[in-house]
Amino acid sequence: MVLVAEHAAETDARGRFAEEAIGYLDTLYRGALRLTRDPAQAEDLVQDTYVRALRYQGSYQVGTNMKAWLFAIMRNLFWDRFKGGRPEDISLDGDGEFALYDTLKDPSAVPETDVLDAIAAEEVVRAVEKLPELHREVVLLVDVEGFSYKDAAEVLGVPIGTVMSRLHRARRQLQRSLHEYARESGIVRAQGDGS
Amino acid sequence: MNCRDCLERLDTYLDRELTDAEVVMVRQHLADCPPCEELYLLQVHVKRLVKVCCDRGEAPASLRSRLRQILF
Repeated sequence: MVLVAEHAAETDARGRFAEEAIGYLDTLYRGALRLTRDPAQAEDLVQDTYVRALRYQGSYQVGTNMKAWLFAIMRNLFWDRFKGGRPEDISLDGDGEFALYDTLKDPSAVPETDVLDAIAAEEVVRAVEKLPELHREVVLLVDVEGFSYKDAAEVLGVPIGTVMSRLHRARRQLQRSLHEYARESGIVRAQGDGS
Repeated sequence: MNCRDCLERLDTYLDRELTDAEVVMVRQHLADCPPCEELYLLQVHVKRLVKVCCDRGEAPASLRSRLRQILF
C-alpha cells in the first residue's frame, strides 16, 4: 500500500511538472524560432528541450523560476546542437569596454519614434534575427521575455555585467538596423541628401 | 547628474534595474534635458516594439500533441 501511495504521489508530481512545463510551450517555441530562424529546427529544439527537462526534472526545484530553467536548457541545447559548442570562447564583447557614450556621438544613426511606428512587425523581427546569437539571446530574455538581468545572467551562465554590455550593443545595432531599413524603404530620407 | 552619467544608465533605467536613488537622479536629468529625454523615449519605443513584434505566434498544434504524449 505504501508503495502504491508513493507511486501515486510520483505520478502526481510528474503531472504537475508536465502541466506547468507545457504552459511555456508557446513562449519557448517563439524563442526557438528567433534562435534558429527556422520553423522545423525550432520544433526540434523545443521537443528536445522538453525531453531533456523531463529527464532532469529532479534538478528543478519546485517554486523556482521554471521559465528560466527551461530557457537555460533550450539555450544550451541550441548552442550544443546547432552551433557546435557552447559560446564561452566566442567573444563579441571586445575588451569589455562599456561604450555607452557613443549613443550621443552619433545621433544621426538613431531613428525617430514616429519613423519606428511606420516599420512593419516583420522588419522588427528580421532586425532581431540579424543580431549575432550572443546578442540576440540577451534581447530575447530581457526585452521579449522580461527577465531581470540577474535571471538572464543565470540562464546564460555569464556575469550581470556581460548581460548589460551585450544588451547595450544589441540595442544599438537594432536601432541602427531599423534606421537603415527606414532609410532604404523610403520611410525616412537620408540626412544630407540635398534633394 | 550630467548627460554622460545619464546615458550610461539609460539601459538600466529602462529595464528597472537601478537603485531608487539613481532612478530619482536619472528622472530629474531627463526632465531637465530634452536631448537625453529624446534618446530615452526612443529606447523605450524600440524595446516595446521588439516585445510586441517578437512575442506573437503559437507553437504548432502537432508539436503540442507530440509533447503531450512525451510528457504525460
